[in-house]
Amino acid sequence: MFNKTLFDKSNKLEKITFIFDVLAIIAYVTLFIMLFNTLQLPPIDPLTGEIVMSDIETYPLNLVYRFMSFDLTYYQLNLLISITVIFMLVAIPMLAINIKKLRTRTVYDVNSYVAGSKFVNAIINLISFNFVGSILRVINMFVLVEFVKGYKPKEFFKSIIPAIKTKIKKMKEKNVEIDEDIDDQAVITLKKHIKHQNTASAFRLMSTYLFLVIMALIIVVPFYWMVITALKNYTSASSTNPEFFIGLSRMNWINFKVVLEEMNFGLYLKNTIIVAIFSTLGTVITTILSAYAFARIEFKGRELLFSILIMTMMIPGELYIVTNFITVSRHGLGWIGTENNQYFLAMIIPFVTSISYIFFLRQNFKQIPESLYKAARVDGCSDFKYLVRVMVPIASPTIFTITILNVFSSWNAYIWPRIITGIGGEEAKAYWLISNALRDTTFMLETGQVMHNLQIAASTLVTVPLLIIFFAFRKYIMNGIGRSGTKG
Amino acid sequence: MNNLRNSVKQFLGKIMKNIKTFFWNLRRAVNNRKKKISDFLDRKNLNFAGKFPGWAKALIYLAPALIVLSIFTFWPIINSLRLVTFENYNIVNNDITGYTVFGNFIKVLNDESFLFEASHTQGTAIMNTLIIVFISVPISIFLALFISVALNSIKFLKNFFQTVYFLPYVTNTIAIGLVIAYMFKADGGLVNQLFGLGKFPWVESGAEHWRSMFVLIFYSIWGSLAFKIMVFLTSIQGIDKQYYQAAAIDATPRRRIFSKITVPLISPMIFYILVTSVIGAFKIYNQIVALFGVTGKPDGVDYTMQSIVMYIYKYIDGGNNLSVAAAGSLILFAIILVLTLVQMQVSKKRVHY
Repeated sequence: MFNKTLFDKSNKLEKITFIFDVLAIIAYVTLFIMLFNTLQLPPIDPLTGEIVMSDIETYPLNLVYRFMSFDLTYYQLNLLISITVIFMLVAIPMLAINIKKLRTRTVYDVNSYVAGSKFVNAIINLISFNFVGSILRVINMFVLVEFVKGYKPKEFFKSIIPAIKTKIKKMKEKNVEIDEDIDDQAVITLKKHIKHQNTASAFRLMSTYLFLVIMALIIVVPFYWMVITALKNYTSASSTNPEFFIGLSRMNWINFKVVLEEMNFGLYLKNTIIVAIFSTLGTVITTILSAYAFARIEFKGRELLFSILIMTMMIPGELYIVTNFITVSRHGLGWIGTENNQYFLAMIIPFVTSISYIFFLRQNFKQIPESLYKAARVDGCSDFKYLVRVMVPIASPTIFTITILNVFSSWNAYIWPRIITGIGGEEAKAYWLISNALRDTTFMLETGQVMHNLQIAASTLVTVPLLIIFFAFRKYIMNGIGRSGTKG
Repeated sequence: MNNLRNSVKQFLGKIMKNIKTFFWNLRRAVNNRKKKISDFLDRKNLNFAGKFPGWAKALIYLAPALIVLSIFTFWPIINSLRLVTFENYNIVNNDITGYTVFGNFIKVLNDESFLFEASHTQGTAIMNTLIIVFISVPISIFLALFISVALNSIKFLKNFFQTVYFLPYVTNTIAIGLVIAYMFKADGGLVNQLFGLGKFPWVESGAEHWRSMFVLIFYSIWGSLAFKIMVFLTSIQGIDKQYYQAAAIDATPRRRIFSKITVPLISPMIFYILVTSVIGAFKIYNQIVALFGVTGKPDGVDYTMQSIVMYIYKYIDGGNNLSVAAAGSLILFAIILVLTLVQMQVSKKRVHY
């Protein structure tokens, strides 16, 4: 019944389209980086060695920016950057969704809506200057139309108008049908009841959606306000009548440049990434090993040890921090407060294991049937090999969830890095993580006013990577948390 | 041409086959050797690997975690009990002036702005924390329940709403706190602009205690909703559909379905969330830092927003009297322990199907 060759052809076309999609995304990214580098910071003040904050608003306005033999004004440059960012925001999720769809699509999933979505994708590609991708998608649409309806392209164009006509006719017929058969009193009352019930349920549905939309707005508004403010200049960010919308050419991308280069947030981001990677690596390894020991290896006092570990989960972290501070400082291990400043060690080592994750993973390991272990043992598989080859692959979704949650928690760590770097003075500033940099950097003008736009731009820089990871691995994170009920 | 290609293919295939057989033979030889050695050891009763006791094996697996845990988790528990007996412990030169039993606890309880209000500032650490616990936790639990029931009753856009409500979970508390403080700015803040309040100070100089508290409660609810909605939604989806079908046949109103079916059936989860969020609310710190700064006191106001944890960190930060910090954290631990035990007792009696 299905024309398999057409389906395969469509899939092949889709795969070729992906190549051009990827090329387009690479083009957008390079364009963005080049344009972003074209932005110029105000000159450095020779006295302080830093730029004059009040210049940030006025200085870039009067420059002429040279980009690929074009002379651009500040507003044109900002417009171009905004457009490339929008293209990236559209193209990357579209590619991800399309790849996912292609992987799961079978012959039975293809209907006329799929063909329609191809057409919409083609239009989006056309707008974002991905012409080859657009043409390929249109061809793919015709292939799919032929696959679903059996029309060749010519026949398809001919069939559009009659199809619409028949649809309108059908709708008219339906209306007539409902009006015709009013017979006796019973039918009328029944209809009244049905109508009443329908309006009631519709009202209920409306109110549900209204409630949900209002709550969703409350959740989303801070994010929206953050992005908008990060792109404003100082005058409009601190004006009495804030703007709710902002034009593409009025977006001040220079704010991010100032934050990254002048305010050292590039360094802080690097520090945070280092800490996050190593502490996550350590956490995953120690968690897997000890969860395995608690789940499979039988030894005396296993339950006792485990329940002691569980009980320590109840103790507030502040209790640990008091002593840990002494432990890592001069009179303990001497990682901080001495000549050799090992701030990274002090930030990573205390967090390379987590009892709640051990608990979480142990529950998961316990669900794997014992017989599997016995079979492996009979075949001469060692414990470690069994763990690596069997347990870890089976529990990989949980391990992945643990990884992501741990990355999040080390990205958001605030108090411990602040206490550690707090006693180090100036040179400890180079080891700040983003959260304490956000709180402790002074985003001040020379006159003492806070530059809210820069502060919020830094907040955006911190938040955006989290959101990207979240949207990329949404399923893992949400499922993991819903099931486990553990909070890192 | 074809002939040549075939012959090349055959030649390469032969080479590959030879290499493969070589490695297989090597492996077989090694295994034979291994077997011989183990047989020999068995005969001489020297094979310790076979008699490896369980605890030793477990120790190898547990060692990395246990070493870290014993230094950074178990030792602090013991050490904090030791620390509170020190008088004026100074981290810089690591010396003390003497020993006390309850001295540090008394110092914490008598300290101004912990339990008793100071003469010049409003608000104490205990009071602020209790307000957060008793206002923000119930409100957020009810809101989360309503939202998750509403989410469960719709189909269209359900995933979209679920994702949106989950967003606060994955954000940086400090970053969004700065945004919220900016939104509640007196001059040109979004909230004052939207509701036409003029220049109404919320978190700056000229504000009052309850206004700052309102912002803090708003932010803590905003941040904690995501986790609760997720857990409630998962447990509501796990309820047997038959209950709802039976209720639908009897034309039960929605309010009764909510109070007689949904809430009782997920009551274990509600109690679990209650326990965890009360504990979380007692440990509130990052939100206050984000909104009101490290001291918990906005510029130019005569009140303090500090919580119990913030009080503890005040002493760690200076590094001058860690014994007081240890005493404060032990008090916090005691409060949490009592609350947990009480709630466990209550949940034993009250949580039913």
